[in-house]
Amino acid sequence: MKNSIYTLFYAGVLGTVCSLLLTAAASFTAPYREANAKAEKNRNILGVLQVKYPSDASSQELVKIFEDNVSLEQLGELEMYRYVPPQDSGNKETVAVGFEGPGLWGPVKGFLALDKNMRTIRGITFYEQEETPGLGGEIASSWFREQFAGKSIFDEAGKPGIIISSSEGSAPNKVDAISGATMTCEKVQAMLNEAIKGIVEGKQ
Amino acid sequence: MADNKQPACMTCEPKGLCGGRGLLTLKEGAWANNPLAIQVLGICSALAVTNRLENSLVMGGALIFVCVGSNLLVSLLRKVTPYRFRMIAEVSIIATFVILFDQFLSAFYPDMSKQLGPYVGLIITNCIVMGRAEAFALQNPPILSIVDGIANGLGYAVVLAIIGFFRELLGAGEILGREIPGFSSWYTPNQLMILAPGAFFALGIVIGIFNAVKGPGPEEKK
Repeated sequence: MKNSIYTLFYAGVLGTVCSLLLTAAASFTAPYREANAKAEKNRNILGVLQVKYPSDASSQELVKIFEDNVSLEQLGELEMYRYVPPQDSGNKETVAVGFEGPGLWGPVKGFLALDKNMRTIRGITFYEQEETPGLGGEIASSWFREQFAGKSIFDEAGKPGIIISSSEGSAPNKVDAISGATMTCEKVQAMLNEAIKGIVEGKQ
Repeated sequence: MADNKQPACMTCEPKGLCGGRGLLTLKEGAWANNPLAIQVLGICSALAVTNRLENSLVMGGALIFVCVGSNLLVSLLRKVTPYRFRMIAEVSIIATFVILFDQFLSAFYPDMSKQLGPYVGLIITNCIVMGRAEAFALQNPPILSIVDGIANGLGYAVVLAIIGFFRELLGAGEILGREIPGFSSWYTPNQLMILAPGAFFALGIVIGIFNAVKGPGPEEKK
């Protein structure tokens, strides 16, 4: 009995000391980790909006480039990032919206960039995904993402939506799916269509 | 983690660190009983993070930090820890050090943290750390336990660095992400070395060479 009480006491003290240490460390590093996460998000938005920035830019520089070039607007219920390039830079005005949803193994998050009329896709990026490497994980690879550029978010009849499918034939709103990653592709298609629905509703 | 025999010097006249046992402990951990090459522990992380030399070095550093920290604390607490509670205590201490390192990495080296992914957190389950705490730190004084932590961490880190060096050299034709003059220009990188099979080949060859150089262990000699 005495032994058990001592063990309990020991466990309590050790547990408290360990958790206090970890809490202190977590609150000390929190601002740094938040800044990193923000810079990472900004880097993805800048990338999908095709804003040029130095590849070795620090977190602070990235945040500044982002604030100088990109403005945040509200589109219906969506947050929309707009990049208006300088007059003679040759870049096109681009908007981007975030999308997210469940993937096969975990959450998938990314940004979809459209031209200023919000009809044609200019790019797509995934900044968080844990899909199977080599199969579903290929959604983050450039060959899959590059297919989206130039695609419409409306089908031929004008109905909003994008199709990720391995079927034959082509359509203005269809991209090729990844073989062996049917589930991931279906889920990505669903979350993109959710975002597209939001865009169309927001425009009205 | 069967090997728990006391160094032979236990009965000698005390000299040097901890009566001469410091150097023995160091040799034992880093060379004669190298955790990776001889005991073949901690293989999971050794295969996963050695595709680049930089990753290997950081991972090795993490293991040294955790091993030294946990050995020290376990050793300091060894007389007050209830025997049947010792493993839970060891794991809590190890987990604390691992999370500390993980937080530090994600705050100040986010890119490295992203590359190593879950493997930093998985040091908690690394048999080397738990094994040293259980087999060594629990029976030995703090200073000696620190030496043992350094020795085993170093033994792991050096083997990891060797594997990382060759995998990056052959798989990417670079070292630490930089091109090597006179080599990168004509060498065609062999992707296999970056992928998982390359890790198995490299680890197998390193273990083979290590054992050949070290010679047979005491039980094989009999």
